[in-house]
Amino acid sequence: MIDRTKAPVPSENISFEIPKINYLTSSKGYEIFYISKEKLPIVSFNIILFSGSKFDPENKKGLALLTSFMIDEGAGKYDAFQLSNEFEKLGTIFSITVNHDTFSFSILSLKENFERSLELLSIILNEPRFDEKDFQREKKKLINKIKQMKDEPSYIASTAFDRQIFQECYYSYPSIGYENTVNNITLDDVKEFYNKYIKNSKKKFIAAGCLMQKEISDLIDKYFTTKEIILPELELKLPEKASTKYFIVHKENSAQGEIRIGHLDGLRKSPDYFANKLMNSILGGEFFSRINLNLREKKGFTYGAHSSFNYYQKAGYFEIGTAVNIENVGESISEILYELNNIKQNITQEEINLAKSFLIKHFPSNFESYTQLSQSIALLVIHNLPLNYYNEYINNIQLVTEDEILNAAKKNIHTDELTILVVGDKNKILPQLKILTNELIELDIYGSVVEKLNL
Amino acid sequence: MNDKLLKINYEKHKLDNGLEVILYQDKSLPIVAVNIWYRVGSANESKGKTGFAHLFEHMMFQGSKHIPKGEHFRLIQEAGGSLNGSTSFDRTNYYETIPSNYLELALWLESDRMGFLLPALTEEKLSNQKDVVMNERRQRYENQPYGLAWEILLSNLFTQNHPYSWPTIGWMEDIKNFKLDDVINFFKTYYSPNNATLVIGGNFDFDNAIKLVEKYFGEIPSNNSIPNVNTPEQNLEDSKKIIHEDNVQLPRIYLAWHSDKIFGNYDASLDILSDILTSSKNSRLTKSLIYDKQIAQDVNAFQYSGKYAGMFIIISTAKPEIHLEEIKKEIFEQINLLISNGISDEELIRSKNSIKSHYIYSLQKLDVIVDHINHYNFYLNEPDSFMFDLKRYENVTKENVIESAKKFLTNPYVELHIIPKKSKRI
Repeated sequence: MIDRTKAPVPSENISFEIPKINYLTSSKGYEIFYISKEKLPIVSFNIILFSGSKFDPENKKGLALLTSFMIDEGAGKYDAFQLSNEFEKLGTIFSITVNHDTFSFSILSLKENFERSLELLSIILNEPRFDEKDFQREKKKLINKIKQMKDEPSYIASTAFDRQIFQECYYSYPSIGYENTVNNITLDDVKEFYNKYIKNSKKKFIAAGCLMQKEISDLIDKYFTTKEIILPELELKLPEKASTKYFIVHKENSAQGEIRIGHLDGLRKSPDYFANKLMNSILGGEFFSRINLNLREKKGFTYGAHSSFNYYQKAGYFEIGTAVNIENVGESISEILYELNNIKQNITQEEINLAKSFLIKHFPSNFESYTQLSQSIALLVIHNLPLNYYNEYINNIQLVTEDEILNAAKKNIHTDELTILVVGDKNKILPQLKILTNELIELDIYGSVVEKLNL
Repeated sequence: MNDKLLKINYEKHKLDNGLEVILYQDKSLPIVAVNIWYRVGSANESKGKTGFAHLFEHMMFQGSKHIPKGEHFRLIQEAGGSLNGSTSFDRTNYYETIPSNYLELALWLESDRMGFLLPALTEEKLSNQKDVVMNERRQRYENQPYGLAWEILLSNLFTQNHPYSWPTIGWMEDIKNFKLDDVINFFKTYYSPNNATLVIGGNFDFDNAIKLVEKYFGEIPSNNSIPNVNTPEQNLEDSKKIIHEDNVQLPRIYLAWHSDKIFGNYDASLDILSDILTSSKNSRLTKSLIYDKQIAQDVNAFQYSGKYAGMFIIISTAKPEIHLEEIKKEIFEQINLLISNGISDEELIRSKNSIKSHYIYSLQKLDVIVDHINHYNFYLNEPDSFMFDLKRYENVTKENVIESAKKFLTNPYVELHIIPKKSKRI
């Protein structure tokens, strides 16, 4: 018989080397970040432009995204089908993603097909066709996609929440746009967006794979030739602080209530980042965190509940998200509020040890796949973090003291400035909110105010 | 190059109690992945007790004799690991990826719930996890647009006495009614070492690993009476049409045919057929429905195959003002065209190239590799089947693709329309 009563202790200590992130400027002056990794004949490659949907004009929200839909519908001598066919023959996965800050092109390819894949990417970026017939089709597709979102409770909750916490600034609006704003977009708008924000704008090249420095740098110089400009800074006017408010978006007969609770917070580069990260691991970042254990493992109100500090380039916010049984919306909000207040009062040494241990020991597994490697570089590029950031990471976590974690909760969780939002059947939810608030604001599915309700 | 890349060197052992152990070494990172497949899934359930394999999976995270509730998650995460489990028709898996010096911790935890789950079981835990699973069902199916389509298709394609006729999550009424005795019986019936395969992958020493497995799993008794699954032959006499109103903006059509089982003679050519129909802009249905005729918002075809049956499914969402009949007509026209005129070399090569590179991409993560090893061991009794599997696709001919379309897609089928509720039509 063996003793099963005690957890086995770890065997020998292990060592892990953070992959080295190299930075270089090519002969033509392009900025390249790369990690060399042999193991498999794979290359994960990205081009990041700081040309996201924050540049969408007021009445043409969705323009950056529609431009991304259009840009690979034919380029150079290839029409949309031929272009797609060229990638498929190579077995290369090509994608374009747009968010508020960035417009990025990604390739995952076999090493033997990397050069040809990069060549195709350069044609897409430099010589898009922007044909009228493709435009009409892609525009309709985007409008229908927006229509379909009207029934996605978690999408509605997140966009309405963004709308309320960011108010009139550019992070407030969904990248996908609205039916009427996409309707306003013309092919000339797409061409103009491309010419102004994509064609010559500053590119950051990122590669992870079975490639040497000279190979990457020469290939980039071979296929990219336009002159680069740096885009102007847009003015960002974040809303003033406001006291806690309750919001509801009505969805008839919903089986659950989608809850979002949170507020604005600091930037990724904030000195509080590591203390916040640890505090949030204890509060709601992981399965073992307080909010999930309470709402799921104790109460059974939900399949899962999660909190996070999120970072755009120029703004940050704190958000808790969960979907709970419609009968338990009120009680779930009360429990979340209890946890937010409680973490300011007390955090145990045991919880801190667990959070530190998790973040430190889990760290190496962020560098396993080629895609993870290129993503880890992208994070540095987007937030302008130093190249040795990951080398310092573990030390930075270790250095955070117990007091700093408790202070992070006291200082960075604003329990009297919350946006509390539920998407669900108001007839069932309103009676449950009476003990929490007298006043409730009803929003439409886009997060705009419909009316004030008195409870 | 590919042959060598896709070759998996492994050791396979069997403990006296019947537990299969497969060891796959890869020392490139200081991590190990532990992955257990129990040969039980929703196909082992019976009518009135659906969703139980999945609910049981939840109970396996509620602690066991030597491990209090919550500790399993806490200990793995404290070690820097990640963990989860999943349930399908055919099997239930449990897995964790952890720093390599914590291998013993993972084996201790997995063996405790394999051998000593029952002493820790309580009504309170069961009732809590029933609530969690009912909320999982609400969140992932009931409160999702088109969320009930899958279970409507299954229950119409398969006869009620076939275990693929209900969804893995189970029917709400059944989840509500589970009793503690059900959990105990299920555990006693299916959760024994001789009904499981443990794969360890990553950075470890062979001798030490097998010694540790013996230490923690060796004393768990086996159970020799694991019941067989009864799967009556499925044959849809006539096509069926179901119309279901839901909170959706655009109508969507689903077409489902009975097809071949996993690793059956037609399984790979049906996968390639689905690529040729919808995997990219150049695929036939995508090109015709979305680009040329512009009557659909999206279209997707796939072969879904398990141990006891397979199905071929085509799904397409209509654009506003477009009737689903129009889409259906075009889908059948394209299928008939493919059967009568065949496919081109280019279409076949495109699909094969994409399948080949995806195989290589899938080797990037250890947890994916070990789950694949269990997958191949379960269905083929040979863990090192990456090459075999890829060759299945490489060997598919143009004629095979046409033949499989003819063999399955000309039979009766289930047709489901999910349409907007009257009050919501746009």
